[in-house]
Amino acid sequence: MILRTLRLRSFRAHDETTVELRPKVNLLHGANGVGKTNVLEAIHYVCLTKSFTATNDRYVVRQDAPYFEVEGLFEGVRSTETRVRLVYVPSEGKKVFVNGAPLDRLTEIVGMLPVVVFSPEDHALTAEGPSERRRFLNNILSQARPVYMDDLMKYRRARKQRNEVLRQYKKRPSPPPDALIEPWTEKIIMIGSRVIHRRNQFLHTFREYLVDAYERIDAVAEEPTIEYDTIDAFEESTTESEIQKAFRSEVERKREHEHQRGTTLVGPQRDELVFRLDDLEVRRYGSQGQHRTFAMALKLAQYLYLTDRLDTQPILLLDDAFGKLDARRTDVFLELLMSDVIGQSLITATRRSPFAKTIDFDRPTHGSMHVTRVDGAARVTPEQNRGDDASTEDASGTATTVPESPVQEQQT
Amino acid sequence: MQFTSESVEALVEQFTKLPTIGRKTAQRLVNFVLKMPREEVEEIARALIAVKDQVQRCSTCFVVADRDPCPICSSEKRDRSTICVVEESSDLLAIERTGEYRGLYHVLGGVISPLDGVGPDDLRIRELARRVDPSFADSEAANVSAADAREAAESGEAGPPEVGDEPHAGDGAPAPDDADGADGAGEDEEAEVEEVILAVNPNVEGDTTAYYISQLLEPMGVPVTRIARGLPIGGDLEYADEATLSRALEGRGAV
Repeated sequence: MILRTLRLRSFRAHDETTVELRPKVNLLHGANGVGKTNVLEAIHYVCLTKSFTATNDRYVVRQDAPYFEVEGLFEGVRSTETRVRLVYVPSEGKKVFVNGAPLDRLTEIVGMLPVVVFSPEDHALTAEGPSERRRFLNNILSQARPVYMDDLMKYRRARKQRNEVLRQYKKRPSPPPDALIEPWTEKIIMIGSRVIHRRNQFLHTFREYLVDAYERIDAVAEEPTIEYDTIDAFEESTTESEIQKAFRSEVERKREHEHQRGTTLVGPQRDELVFRLDDLEVRRYGSQGQHRTFAMALKLAQYLYLTDRLDTQPILLLDDAFGKLDARRTDVFLELLMSDVIGQSLITATRRSPFAKTIDFDRPTHGSMHVTRVDGAARVTPEQNRGDDASTEDASGTATTVPESPVQEQQT
Repeated sequence: MQFTSESVEALVEQFTKLPTIGRKTAQRLVNFVLKMPREEVEEIARALIAVKDQVQRCSTCFVVADRDPCPICSSEKRDRSTICVVEESSDLLAIERTGEYRGLYHVLGGVISPLDGVGPDDLRIRELARRVDPSFADSEAANVSAADAREAAESGEAGPPEVGDEPHAGDGAPAPDDADGADGAGEDEEAEVEEVILAVNPNVEGDTTAYYISQLLEPMGVPVTRIARGLPIGGDLEYADEATLSRALEGRGAV
């Protein structure tokens, strides 16, 4: 799947921007805060209807603009050309149009345009709380299996309802009567077990992808593993009804505890993933470098898994992903981007030169763009391929930014 | 944005109490009302009051109707052995429009949703249980366990079935002071209920309500079914969303 053209209107720093993209590596370079990441974010909106950073849609609308709009022209999705447009109006919410026709439900688009993001926030995957890891899990499974997301949303709703019953009885001497709580317990067991079943099966498959991904970026012979910590230990062959049984007895066991706390204490909302390198638990004992490599391997494995599962190569978004990598790993990764393993990718970086050494921007499959601020709005300027990249950077940079840059850069 | 006229502002406020009406729409409506002839405005006002004064709920099925029992419950032509359970009166109308269903109805008045403060006792579920099994103990409320309710219902089964099913008004339903009409409906209900069809919406709350009802009715030995969910007629498989399609696969039937 290839994104040909992206159009942004009133999106963050962008007033009106059109970006033409190449089928392989696309580099967006420029100073901090000019609007490079916004371009990746816009692609994420078109593909998954939201940003990859935790943000309120309201603040994505450019200041003083009434709404924002993102449009992508894709090739090789279901038919030859697919035009996806997402419009957000603060008072009305988001709407997605595929080839002009509005979607009944936003979530219908998820999985159609697969996308994988590498960003500095990936650090949280291995270093922070379990919710980050569940988010990662949900992101892959939602893109790979549309029904998963439907189950997940229904589960959340049922759990909220059940929590409300528990909350009402929290301060009372006895737990809620069966007639009130039991239908909800049954519901969370049914849907929750389906969610756990899918996660369990997925994680058993995903292990191989992770080993493969880790080997590609790190030559060290450590073996990465993921342990799925849920209501019980399950084999790959564990059936949904066995999970239901375990779920049921766990709810039974925690009944008094749930009454005291007034909330649901059993279920996939408490799942955790434990990452290890051989026997070492990465979260507690991993070095900075191991954290970074593990997070990258997870994302690369996500890419490889989605490629197999969806039979198309996702778009790879690399937001400032090379900033902290050493030279060797940067090279390994850039080689990977140019190989058949990865399809189309977009990279943001402050400087062009480190990439120009490895990536031949003279080839029509790659492209590089300079992002600047002009009159307070982001501008993306495609660069003509020239042999001498050092002078290119200066030439294209000075031409557009010099009058603005002192003021603009102070702002950001 | 305050209006200069107080009565205009008051009407705007009243209109915004209605669902889906925001301030802007309310202002538009008020402007329209100001241009209407007095007689037409009176007609609207009268119709609003009449709806509250004259419309009542059927004391058997709780549908909104002009008389009690409602035309469906009092009709000789309806099959008294099946009861179709719906959330609201408007759902009943939708099923009636199909012309395919000839049984009776039962309007629950909503679905179980703790977040909206609606529990089983706020719906007309006990009334349904009594229609299915007149000996269903009236005292059973949701604050005793469902297991107890089941036991009570089972032990009650041995007792003689009361023919004159006393209709009990649910919350918010007018009390059935018209005893003759209610008795008439009771006499017609000699036929035993052979099937209860749950036609609630296919969402989390609808599912849970259906589950609750099926558990409650299970000991009475009456088959409880639920309407199928899946693809719309005339729909294209290709355009169905994955969640609907996968549920349709789950609920597939023999050709």
